[in-house]
Amino acid sequence: METKLLTGNQALALGALHAGVRVVTGYPGTPSTEALACLLALEPEGVYVEWSTNEKVALEIAAGASWAGQRALCTMKMSGLNVAYDSLISIAYSGCIGGLVVYVADDPGVHAGMAEQDSRGFALMSDLPMLDPASVEEAYRLMRSAFELSERVGSPVFVRLVGAVAHSQAPVEVEEPAPIPRRKARLVRDIARFTKAGSAICTAQHRDLLARLEKAARVIGEMGLNRLQLASKTGGLGIVASGVTASYLEEGFEIAARFGFERGAVSVLWITAVNPFPTDEVRALLRHSSTILVLEELEPYIEKGICVEARRMGFTGRIVGKLDGPFERVGEYGVEQVVRGIGAALSLPIPDDLFQGSEAAESLAAERPITFCAGCPHRGTFMAINRAIRKAGYKKNEVVVTGDIGCTILGMNPPFHTAWTEVSMGASVGLAQGFVHGGAETPVIATIGDSTFFHAGIPGLINAVQHQVPLTLVILDNGWTSMTGMQVNPGTDETFQRPGDRRVDIAELIPALGVERFFIIDPFDLDEAAATIQKALELPGVKVVLSRQECAIQAMRRGIRAGKVRVIPENCNLCKLCITHTGCPAIGIDEDTIVIDPALCYGCGLCAQVCNREAIERVGESASQRVSESAIERGSEGARE
Amino acid sequence: MSLTSRITHHASRFTHHTSRFTFDILLVGVGGQGVLSIGEIVAEAACRRSIPVNLYPIKGMAQRGGFVKAQVRLGREVTGPNIPQKGADLVIAMERSEALKAVRFVRPGGDFVLFDHVWVPMAVMLGKADYPTPEQVSEQIQEAGGRMHYLAPESLPLYKGVPVPANIFVLGAAVGHTRLADVLSPSDIVQIVQTKWTRSTERNVFAFQAGLEASIQEP
Ligand code: SF4
Ligand code: SF4
Repeated sequence: METKLLTGNQALALGALHAGVRVVTGYPGTPSTEALACLLALEPEGVYVEWSTNEKVALEIAAGASWAGQRALCTMKMSGLNVAYDSLISIAYSGCIGGLVVYVADDPGVHAGMAEQDSRGFALMSDLPMLDPASVEEAYRLMRSAFELSERVGSPVFVRLVGAVAHSQAPVEVEEPAPIPRRKARLVRDIARFTKAGSAICTAQHRDLLARLEKAARVIGEMGLNRLQLASKTGGLGIVASGVTASYLEEGFEIAARFGFERGAVSVLWITAVNPFPTDEVRALLRHSSTILVLEELEPYIEKGICVEARRMGFTGRIVGKLDGPFERVGEYGVEQVVRGIGAALSLPIPDDLFQGSEAAESLAAERPITFCAGCPHRGTFMAINRAIRKAGYKKNEVVVTGDIGCTILGMNPPFHTAWTEVSMGASVGLAQGFVHGGAETPVIATIGDSTFFHAGIPGLINAVQHQVPLTLVILDNGWTSMTGMQVNPGTDETFQRPGDRRVDIAELIPALGVERFFIIDPFDLDEAAATIQKALELPGVKVVLSRQECAIQAMRRGIRAGKVRVIPENCNLCKLCITHTGCPAIGIDEDTIVIDPALCYGCGLCAQVCNREAIERVGESASQRVSESAIERGSEGARE
Repeated sequence: MSLTSRITHHASRFTHHTSRFTFDILLVGVGGQGVLSIGEIVAEAACRRSIPVNLYPIKGMAQRGGFVKAQVRLGREVTGPNIPQKGADLVIAMERSEALKAVRFVRPGGDFVLFDHVWVPMAVMLGKADYPTPEQVSEQIQEAGGRMHYLAPESLPLYKGVPVPANIFVLGAAVGHTRLADVLSPSDIVQIVQTKWTRSTERNVFAFQAGLEASIQEP
């Protein structure tokens, strides 16, 4: 036994490893990314780990491994579950052989962008068991339970973490088990189970699925995953807490005690297995209590389940939660909800301002919209798009530019204000076609990053080619899945692919998809890039512009810079054109000249290209000559400092 | 019983904690300032003393220059990751404007260390948006009942002619001037700093020690 300081993601990954997982797949997405990333870095012997092209592919791989008898783990953020869900429902109908655990990370409070989706709803819809660990330590411990449950029931099992648990670090007692022998693959051909041909097969599978969920309830009971503690006297308050909310209970009890709360008088049900519904425990709690307080973040799934049981049992007491109570379906829960809930349920005099800090202070804070890193190639691409729109004779608000997921979406922020939409992976391509059919009379542009294009952009492009929809797709290819912390994707340079893996080059893919008007630009060569995009805007049909330079952060980590620039203070009149056009964080303002922070500057040369007083000079060869068409292709041969 | 008396009731401050105390720390700043490293050092120092700890960093979209926040909760066996408003025993703010976002979390009577570094967003640089003054920030902290400890960025000492890492200096100041000293041992922190950065060890230890002894100014 050893105590380690781990994040929730690391704890979950280590738990899977110690449970004998053999195949791990996933697609990066905050707050889930680190779980797979840490296993990839660990390179555990006998375990296959990969970043897949998207979550659906990842899940299919994990399911295949499970059907061959191995324990498999598939990781994703909640948006990824939407992508994987088509396969997931079918896999749920078929069940599994080796333990199959699907890790999904939700983001209540939306710290990473996208939706406050409550993935517990997906467990309900697919009739799959789901565990919802309350803490980092539980994330480790419950992985073994999840695999055991999965194999005992023959069903895939969800493990869900919220971002606050996934990203938290806490000490965990880790116990490395004796090495688990590798299972020989067991190949079972059983079309009644693994195909969906015909109503007889599917309805039988549906029955099996429901039977497995029922069995899961029994096994969860035996494993003691949910915990019920009844007060010595009946008729008091019963508290139901699930997932992370349970971790705030003790603190809440201490605070509530100052206002007359008696810990000994309440019964508590800690729900770790949120699906199937813990009917027995809930019924026991309802029989014992006069009032129920339900603490669950986001959707009132458990609360509704309790209402159903209450009605079936003729329970007439109050159920305090979101339906009939003080709580919202938006945002994270904390100790405040515990204390307020207790206050509401027991009519305790909790002061209104107990957790009410001053909002005034925050309103004085400056807004800090995030922008591209210094030297980011996307900066050049969005500057070029803006210039191309202007030169083609349009105003910025006349040309629809759909955006997509990842770093590229920062093109919506100042100083670019270019992207109009952000929907889901790959959606920029489909949306753009919709704007065309919707009657846009000006050119329509879609923007997408490389990994996002591989993930779900390709079908959209094929659709545009087949139906010959006039649009310009700009693919911003920086060679990495950057927003989530620099993962390798199919287009990453061969040098960084795993030994034995190979690169899939977007430049070869596009013509093969039937795109006839295909251009490659260097985003650090503003004139050329803008002229090419302008030309594309003026041509008919489907145009694809591939904008290529490696992610500056990754290049700088290897000591590479695109070039070097120098400020000539005598020439600068502080017109600030460089700042208003690039928004580059490396540029600051001094007394009577701009200054460039040499530690941040990547030497992309974009600022020098917009300055019209020759106050910023490129030192040595120009960046666009030194980092040719594709720095990615040249890998580590790029210009070195 | 006040928090201070709860802590000082321990016979030996830095030994295994058997009775209960809690201490919640909120760290804020902007990306690239090393805010999360402070959290990691504190978490590790707590681990060394077997003090239960939960560190919850929030980086948002981890771009350089964006808002960064970390919460360290010490002393509870089971603890939720988030500190409630008016709940932080100690706030450490590394940037003036971001400090304002932490004000509603300071416990009345809690410590508020403000390192008055200024990182202006573009709109402010271009004169299109306002930026808070140190007086405004200190007024807000005081109104919230926080005990302010002000560190001017100019107070950052030089080591061999180069300014030391601000995050380690500020951590030193927090240990030297707030009730964090009742929880963590400076020698533990020095050791952790030494193992965490094997390359610039001396510089970092110098930064920490300078922080311990730093004089707290008026804004
Ligand atoms: S460097 Fe050029 S563009 Fe930037 S402020 Fe000075 S003169 Fe204007
Ligand atoms: S060359 Fe100019 S725009 Fe490019 S990274 Fe350096 S300062 Fe920023």
